[in-house]
Amino acid sequence: MNDHILWMVVFSFLVSLAFAFLTKHGAKERLKYFLYLFACFVFFSILAGWLMFFFPF
Amino acid sequence: MAQETTYPPVQRQVQQVNPIKVAGACLAGAFIPGLGHAFLQKWDRAIVFLGCVGAMFALGLHLHARLFNPDFADFFAALKFIADAGNGLLYWVCWLRGLGVGEPTAYTYDFGNLFVFGAGLLNMLIVVDAFDIAVGRKR
Repeated sequence: MNDHILWMVVFSFLVSLAFAFLTKHGAKERLKYFLYLFACFVFFSILAGWLMFFFPF
Repeated sequence: MAQETTYPPVQRQVQQVNPIKVAGACLAGAFIPGLGHAFLQKWDRAIVFLGCVGAMFALGLHLHARLFNPDFADFFAALKFIADAGNGLLYWVCWLRGLGVGEPTAYTYDFGNLFVFGAGLLNMLIVVDAFDIAVGRKR
């Protein structure tokens, strides 16, 4: 269970779910916003990880 | 001769705000995540917020997070404490029971702290949301 990707996905899931309920009304709206947020979280986290690869520190 | 047009007076929708309801929702939400929404009978949100914040806090402790003490000597330590304390009673009960000592050498220590900080900050937003609902700015 020492997988950073797994914990990042779990974190993204929980935060996206909370934000979807916090900001949207209706099941369909919430589901769409949740999927959008979740995809953004995962994509930009992996992108940031790859960008940090080029930093020497 | 120009005829003067008369408009009806603008009617503002004034909603009575119950200060006890507002304070109750905010305090309940600050102590236990989601309880503020339960107080306002927003059951779906209450369950989701309790589940998300509770799960993040529990996972953070499972990942060897440290619960930061109320230390205001150092600015960043104070910020960490404020983020932790945003979890309300979850933080205080665990802190008083001596949980969350933290293990900086653990592989997941940083992730654990991130989960606990995230849960605390999320709960602060949830309290603001409960306030907005209680004063009628949001449904």
